[in-house]
Amino acid sequence: MNHSVYLNFAPAIRQLSKSRERFTLLIGLLTLLLFTNAAAGPGSSQKAGASALTEIKGIVTDTLGSPIPGVIVRVKSTNNATITDEKGAYELRNVSEGALLVFSMIGYEPQQVIVGSGRLDIKLKASDVSLEAVTITNGYRVTHIAENTSSTGTVGGKALENKPFSTVISSMQGQVAGFTAPVTSGQPGGLVDVRIRGLGSLSLSSSPLFVIDGMIVNSGKLGYNTTTADALAGLNQNDIERIDVLKDAAATALYGARGSTGVIVITTKRGSAGRTQVRLDTEIGVSAAMNPPKAGMPLTANQYAELFRETLTNSNFTPEQVETLAESYGLNSGKSNNWYDLVTRTGKQSQYNVSVNGGSEKSKFFGSLGYLSQEATTIGSDFRKISALLNIDHKINSKVALSAGFNVSNVNQNTPYSSQFSGNPTWAARSLRPFQLAYNEDGSINTTTPGNTNFPGIYNPLWIAEKDKKLLSATKMLGNLKLKWDIVKNLSFSTYTSVDYNGLEETLFLNATMGDGASLKGRSKNYYTRYFNWLSRNQFDYRYNIPGFNNFYVSASVGYEAQKSKEYLLAADGSGFPSAHEDLTALTNAATPLGTYGQYSNYAFTSLYAIGEVNFKNKYAISGSFRRDGSSRFPKANRQANFFSVGGTWNVHEEAFFIKQRFLSSLKIRSSYGTTGNANLSNYAWVPQASYSIAYGYAGYNGQQYSSVGNIDLKWETSKKFDAGVDIGLANDRFSLTVDYYRNNIDGLIRSIPTSYTTGFTAVSQNVGSMLNHGWEFTVRGDLLRVKDFTWNSNFNLSLNRNKITSLPAGTAVTNGQYYLKEGYSFYTYYMREFAGVDPANGSPLYYTNESRTEKTANIADASLIVQNKQSNPKYTGGFNNLFTYKGITLGVDFNFNLGYWIYGASDLYQTSGTYYTYNKYRFVYDRRWTTPGQATDVPKMSTTTDNSVSTYRIYKGDHIRFRNLVVGYDFKNLGVFKNLKVSKLHLYGRATNLFTKTFDDRLPFDPEVGFSGFDSQDMLQYRTYTVGVNIGL
Amino acid sequence: MKIKNKYTALALAILMTASSCSDSFLDESPTTAISVEHAIKTDGDMMEATAGMYRVLQGYYLFGRNATVFGDMLTDNVYLSSSNSNRLIPHNNFTFVAGNAETRMLWQQAYYAILQANRIIGSEIAENDNVKYLKGEAYAVRALCYLNLVNWFATPHTVNPSAPGVPVVTVSTDIAGPLVLPARNTVAEVYAQILSDLQTAFTLMPATTPSIHINNTNFFSRYAVKALEARAQLYKGDYQKAKDAALEVVQNGGYTLSTTKAAFTAYWAATTPRTDKLETLFELNNSATANNGVEGMDWMYAKGGLGELLVTDDTYAIYSATDMRRDLILDGMRGNNQVYYVNKYQNTANTDRDEIKMIRYAEVILTLAESYARLADNANALKYLNMLAQNRDPEQKAYVLSGDELTNTILLERRKELAFEGLRFFDLTRTNVSYTRQNMGAKAAAIYPSVTTTDFRRLQPIPELEIAANPNVGQNPGYSN
Repeated sequence: MNHSVYLNFAPAIRQLSKSRERFTLLIGLLTLLLFTNAAAGPGSSQKAGASALTEIKGIVTDTLGSPIPGVIVRVKSTNNATITDEKGAYELRNVSEGALLVFSMIGYEPQQVIVGSGRLDIKLKASDVSLEAVTITNGYRVTHIAENTSSTGTVGGKALENKPFSTVISSMQGQVAGFTAPVTSGQPGGLVDVRIRGLGSLSLSSSPLFVIDGMIVNSGKLGYNTTTADALAGLNQNDIERIDVLKDAAATALYGARGSTGVIVITTKRGSAGRTQVRLDTEIGVSAAMNPPKAGMPLTANQYAELFRETLTNSNFTPEQVETLAESYGLNSGKSNNWYDLVTRTGKQSQYNVSVNGGSEKSKFFGSLGYLSQEATTIGSDFRKISALLNIDHKINSKVALSAGFNVSNVNQNTPYSSQFSGNPTWAARSLRPFQLAYNEDGSINTTTPGNTNFPGIYNPLWIAEKDKKLLSATKMLGNLKLKWDIVKNLSFSTYTSVDYNGLEETLFLNATMGDGASLKGRSKNYYTRYFNWLSRNQFDYRYNIPGFNNFYVSASVGYEAQKSKEYLLAADGSGFPSAHEDLTALTNAATPLGTYGQYSNYAFTSLYAIGEVNFKNKYAISGSFRRDGSSRFPKANRQANFFSVGGTWNVHEEAFFIKQRFLSSLKIRSSYGTTGNANLSNYAWVPQASYSIAYGYAGYNGQQYSSVGNIDLKWETSKKFDAGVDIGLANDRFSLTVDYYRNNIDGLIRSIPTSYTTGFTAVSQNVGSMLNHGWEFTVRGDLLRVKDFTWNSNFNLSLNRNKITSLPAGTAVTNGQYYLKEGYSFYTYYMREFAGVDPANGSPLYYTNESRTEKTANIADASLIVQNKQSNPKYTGGFNNLFTYKGITLGVDFNFNLGYWIYGASDLYQTSGTYYTYNKYRFVYDRRWTTPGQATDVPKMSTTTDNSVSTYRIYKGDHIRFRNLVVGYDFKNLGVFKNLKVSKLHLYGRATNLFTKTFDDRLPFDPEVGFSGFDSQDMLQYRTYTVGVNIGL
Repeated sequence: MKIKNKYTALALAILMTASSCSDSFLDESPTTAISVEHAIKTDGDMMEATAGMYRVLQGYYLFGRNATVFGDMLTDNVYLSSSNSNRLIPHNNFTFVAGNAETRMLWQQAYYAILQANRIIGSEIAENDNVKYLKGEAYAVRALCYLNLVNWFATPHTVNPSAPGVPVVTVSTDIAGPLVLPARNTVAEVYAQILSDLQTAFTLMPATTPSIHINNTNFFSRYAVKALEARAQLYKGDYQKAKDAALEVVQNGGYTLSTTKAAFTAYWAATTPRTDKLETLFELNNSATANNGVEGMDWMYAKGGLGELLVTDDTYAIYSATDMRRDLILDGMRGNNQVYYVNKYQNTANTDRDEIKMIRYAEVILTLAESYARLADNANALKYLNMLAQNRDPEQKAYVLSGDELTNTILLERRKELAFEGLRFFDLTRTNVSYTRQNMGAKAAAIYPSVTTTDFRRLQPIPELEIAANPNVGQNPGYSN
């Protein structure tokens, strides 16, 4: 088989993706191929049939002796094949003696047996890829893939283990089609914002729901002070068995009100019966700063000095004035430093994990301990995590089984400020002049404020990193208990209760010498935030076998679920710290209390749900679900809503006609439709509020302000999701191809509508309009190459997402910040003044004054806003993950890519504009600026009076391909000495991450991995890691 | 027995879920707020809403910094040092555009304060002295905000009263709804609302402060309202009514100027609100727990803070050596340069910062003097001019002037007295004069020396986000939408 066919799929599919019709065409083509092959089959199949023909029959079972229906039994290299029935039995005629029989079934290792005569019973072993290949789990139940009607992507634990990332979500990048999670900050433990199938709402959060071992957990950023932190950072990646990404209605409708933006179901490892296994994993390494592209490196001292003088000269300063200023800015002092080098460093990192797994058929356990420590490559930033997990499964008796889990972790994270704050070291490195001196003559850190070689504006980041504290200590506990009672045959009841606890201690200290605390002689703020979130679920599961048929059944689950999350905040703020004891930073040392805060914020959900499924001989399955949700986040009259889904699948490979061909080894067609909701709004968003706060008090009186406009008519927004997909297996399922097409229509969109400021408010949330997300997803996985001991296993996935506003109330303003808001356009279509280059005569920036781009002006106020054919969300995203194995050697090479999007340099006015000549500039500004009449360039003359307001001048192409992961390893377990020690695994490896990024814009001044809105906000630079590790299994 | 326990546990679990079936399980309400329709039901509620309203004024996007600082920064009084923290550069350089955040907040926060006032004015609780007084304060705050808005965003009344002003909103958003899109009223209409509000406030407020809140300069009093009316009438160009209002304050208000240099010095050094009717009629509280920290106006001016907004040499030169007001300017060094620091805000090193002066008695006296001068009553004009000038400078000989010379001297005295208190810009725009901002060369961040009467930047741009949300509001000339 020519595997290059699969690698070249992407461009062809991109062509096909243009419309739904093309999808039908694709299916048609495949079917045609299938039947052509089948028709051509018999003629060519009987070449070897010289010897005697015989009839052969038998039963196929799994290793425990249970019959496996649906196994394909084929005479190798012929179209003579059959399928086992519901009792696992098969019968094949016209088989030549000595021929090779192949038994294959998804999820099992294929077997080849030479035909003797008469009966041939076979035991199939579940394949090594195990669970993830044969089941889908959605948090409510586990479904065999044959019955599965949904579009769900699964990542196995192995893809996540030992990755040197602090949060598990970072390790999932590029693994599942339709899943995107840009890492926008180099802060370890930082929030990673996830999107499943694109933008889920206009103004509500589009983050998916996270479910861990059945518990709907509080996710996202939970604290108040830390600029970026992820509630899931406490999770140990090595504890994860699998992650299922639920994408379509059939999968997400079970989460009703909260399923609209997708669901991520995380399952932790559980014990297995047998010998107790111990596993040790350790990894150590270093991290190095990932420099911005050359176009965005800060200027050197000489370059800056040149630009400084030029800017002022161009701005009517006299030569004497320029020199006076140059002198005062230290340009002649010969003393300068490189800020980028000063705020970055080589970080250290390490992780250690130990796990024990074992038990009997009656009681099983899995326990683990983990430690991870990361020092970021930016000063002042680091991360430490300690975690423990214990999962127990116990059969109390033949009818009652108990499962319990307890997962606890503590994260300590130091997080400098992000974005355009003086305390953001990355911002400082980009902005500070090389002539602002980090150190005094005596080698101490320079903390002088006045004077242009000191720090009148942005603080000295070295001092801030050393003296300020921005610590988060987060304790996470997740416990669950489940009892399952098999009441009678085919009817069971389970009760499940889980508690998700997050306790966050945030301690902020701002020193008295320099920085935000200077005016207050030191300041400290402490926040204690506690989330107690519980969920209780009772569910009946019933299976009814339709009489008179084999393997034709209806299964159903009904349940009731209630959840309440209570957040408690206690915070205090004080100033005036002991002047001579800089170690005394605890809040109690403060002289003046500035504020006290104590409050609750709660939400509750109740749900009644039913799930049903009809399965006919694993050939056809229909599923349906219904859910009625109530939420405290909506006004009483609108708080209940119903959600449903239907789905169907056809396992074509179970059909007799299918096995008459060999081109495809399996084919499954599935489709679903349903509705889900989005309740990702803040707890009391609908309430028009008059609130109290220390920030409203005045002259000793308590203060009340009408602070929140609310909306007492707010309703759910509802997403109607359609999905159609095929799963195709080739060459005995050595490869598989999954293709999905989806359309999500979101109605009653909650949008924060900008209001006239004369109302006192800037925006009001209302249900307006609708939006469509549609797209294609392709996944190709399998062994591309198998030559003797060498295999190349690959997983390539590609997602195409298109977003379109489909309706808006009449009169909706088209300007939506920097975007164009109009039916027919992507929500993230840029709408701004368009830069028309530089006037070669005088270096002025030019802008278009009309949409046809024929008229230009040098006065930006006269330029018109023009809809750009550029949007901020990538058109193509995906990953290409490869594992090469040769004997014990493994080589992993992972790429991920985001193509077809544009980034707005939202905070780089200072790095590009001559008005801010006291800020350092991007290198491309220096390299390409206009200097002489007649010069054709795209960077205007540097001058203090040039207006560099928002325009496409600061739009950059974000397309990139990232070499995300490189790992080389060798397993020593087969070396004699280890074999004797009964070592089951001794894997030594070296790993590098983020080695290389290919970008496509030579002006791009920062890393192109930015948030979904496409705004760069000068957050902490990402880093690359180099680590070595060993995994020992005993 | 064992099995029994398990079933008990099971039953309990079911019960636990069942208990959450009741509808009240889904009732959650905020712990720091109440629904706005229930927010003002008692005098106490109204007092708290009033406090919340004043606090908006004190924020640094309004009088806590920008609304005050711009009044000097855009004029000939001060300049931004070339060594600065990058605050307010577009305003110093005269490069502000419709997207400017400071301008947007100047607009938005004023309307947010107006919203708080509208809610108090519109609340329907039984009238008593407390309620009348508090409502009076709300009327006064609303007038103050509109006077500020119309003078930043619209043509001066003295230039063209029928020019577009700002939208006049007098109904709280919980009644009017959040989707109203008001157009700009004319400047004359805005002034009519301001004067009506001030007259309503003056009539409504009982003569003595009721017990609901303390009687000090942190709150509008009856005569502070009347003084604000004098200012509004002066800006409007109705000198007769300006004279009447100012005279009412002078004759019946009971305020005094400090009588000695020591008292004057002590007055400017104080951080607490006054109850003695000395100098101040109204000032915003700026206490230890509620100041603007490094974002405050005081921090930007004071040598002990950023000290980056400096007095021009020309301004320093208008004071004689014996003028006690010259001591409110410090001669010092900034880097290698000799500069003049503003010293009206002296308490940046203390946790309790200087109150933000909003209306002072000296302004009332000068308004009175100017009104008399413009009404050609030279004797009275000179009386009040000399009253202030000679109080501030004991060596000052009594002026004997008339006509334009007299008016100009009063305006100069106004500049001397009210410098760095945010009123200079309005005096330049209402008198419709071109002015020169002194070129301080390399000491200054940038040079924008000449502001002619035709300069479009004499009006702030209507924020582009306002126009985007509310197309009924038109932009000022020279700015893009």
